[in-house]
Amino acid sequence: MTRPRLRLIAGVCAGFAEHTGLSVSAVRTATVLLSLCGGAGILLYAWLWATIPNAPNPRGEALPKVSLARPNPTLAADAAAHDPRSAPITEILLGLALLGAGLALVASRLGADIPLAVVVPAIVVLSGTALAWRQFADIRSGAKQQSSALLVRTLGALVLVAVGILLFFVTGETPNVWTVILAAVAVLIGVAVVVSPWLVRLSGDLADERAAREREAERAEIAAHLHDSVLQTLALIQQKAGPSSDAARLARAQERELRDWLFTGTNGSTVDLATELRRIAGVIETDFPVHFDVVTTGAVLDSAPDALVAAAREAMLNAARHAGGTVSVYLENGAGGTELSVTDRGPGFTLDLVPEDRLGVRESIQGRMRRIGGTALIRSGPGGTGTEIVLGLPKTGSATAHGNPVGDTSTNSTGQNSTGQRAGSHD
Amino acid sequence: MVIVDDHSIFRSGLRTELGADIRVLGEAATVDEAIALITELQPRVVLLDVHLPGGRGGGGAEVIREAAPAAPHTLFLALSVSDAADDVVRVIRAGARGYITKSASGAEVSEAARRVSGGDAVFSPRLAGFVLDAFGAVAGETAEADEELDRLSARETEVMRLIARGYSYKEAAGSLFISPRTVETHVSAVLRKLQLSSRHELTAWALERKLL
Repeated sequence: MTRPRLRLIAGVCAGFAEHTGLSVSAVRTATVLLSLCGGAGILLYAWLWATIPNAPNPRGEALPKVSLARPNPTLAADAAAHDPRSAPITEILLGLALLGAGLALVASRLGADIPLAVVVPAIVVLSGTALAWRQFADIRSGAKQQSSALLVRTLGALVLVAVGILLFFVTGETPNVWTVILAAVAVLIGVAVVVSPWLVRLSGDLADERAAREREAERAEIAAHLHDSVLQTLALIQQKAGPSSDAARLARAQERELRDWLFTGTNGSTVDLATELRRIAGVIETDFPVHFDVVTTGAVLDSAPDALVAAAREAMLNAARHAGGTVSVYLENGAGGTELSVTDRGPGFTLDLVPEDRLGVRESIQGRMRRIGGTALIRSGPGGTGTEIVLGLPKTGSATAHGNPVGDTSTNSTGQNSTGQRAGSHD
Repeated sequence: MVIVDDHSIFRSGLRTELGADIRVLGEAATVDEAIALITELQPRVVLLDVHLPGGRGGGGAEVIREAAPAAPHTLFLALSVSDAADDVVRVIRAGARGYITKSASGAEVSEAARRVSGGDAVFSPRLAGFVLDAFGAVAGETAEADEELDRLSARETEVMRLIARGYSYKEAAGSLFISPRTVETHVSAVLRKLQLSSRHELTAWALERKLL
């Protein structure tokens, strides 16, 4: 039983109706009627509110992969799922306790006949419950405090609840056997009521975690199997079919998708420039007979300006359109800044021969890079064949170097100390 | 040459694609078969898949360690579907003279095999990129002396950067105004550093894989 996200108050009635198959309005009417019977409905509602978990957030409806500055979707969803429930309940209970205390004080000052024997214990019980739940929330969220301190505080809150319930009976009439037994039972029930929502949720968490682990193990097994069979076959197809044939292109696209799913499916939510370049390469490869060899070195850059990505995309698209074959994309995040080069083995071209009104290179690549303080260098490729486009972006953004002379071999990021290198894999 | 791969389709496919001057002496599918075959045939070049069944589970690296003492003139060229860094480090540190991916064409494999048989090292762009990362060259670390094992010299860094961009040895030589022979010397030096260096990124992987 879960509470749906589309809800009137807390989604209890809707969840109950969905679970039992009754109509929502019937359940709601019954709840209202029960509420009139001495507040039983309200108590039941609150109880179910505390114990029934939220329905899982439907994933995947948003989040188009466009921008680099994309928030982590799973984290955001988790926060959304937890925030509205853990925080307000404790605050509301504490608020009620304080409000009750204040009202009782004012009323007794004004001379009204306040049943202090009832009000004081009620306040103690309310605040005890609130404090206990807050501690539970801390335990559940895995707070970094020492667990012994948390435990002591939780026990303290529970003792407060017990004392409050006991007060109901102690301050009442003279004790006899029945009131003592009743008090004991009431204390037990009270503590159980306070603790059980937490226990229910904890067991739910455990089940979720176990399920996630099982999924992970299953995925690893599938990955190992596919690695041995399908990926090998796809590699063979690419090899036999030649780099620019349709069969090779399809095989490559499939291999890329499979790899993405196998190796980054669970924690692939971080988007850095290298991942984005590979994604762009994949998109272009499906449309043109081209193979991009993307190599990245240096620190992971997770906040590249959109203009750099767009310029790189344009350069890659140009290479795919005019050259084809194998195109190398090389990204280096050094101490001096970012350097990205796109090298093809096509017929090559010179900027002077491109008509003035063609905006592809001049605007999309050079203009974009100039506006963000970077450089775009277009020269003929290694050994005089093909084209090489080198995009440079200095780290500070102030040290602009407009118009690098053509023909510069541009090995310029040496001699500075930085330990921000990546010790990870490439694929 | 001997081809070692556990997929018969891949072996036969590769066999037909290889250049005319390359003679395939035999094929093996498991670690044990490979060790026996290499010891018997003493080939010049072994094209070796990184992931192999059999033996003690060590894959291609185990073949190199076991077979190399018995076949002192054999050179190993590693071949893999994956570009994962730990795969690369494993076989290179075991003694492979080069590393290429399986999506390489028959002509590329032939060229790599020729180069290895000539005593040179073969670096794919990916491997060059990985080397730059592992030695901290991108971050600006350079070796003071050529003998230093834990860092690349300035020239080696430049060569690696060009190879990572997809340049051939000849093109890299042209860009740096040095001879192709010099480029090959630099690449071999980098390979030696990759095999012998105790740089912590490299040893971390090696330790993880129980290579040391």
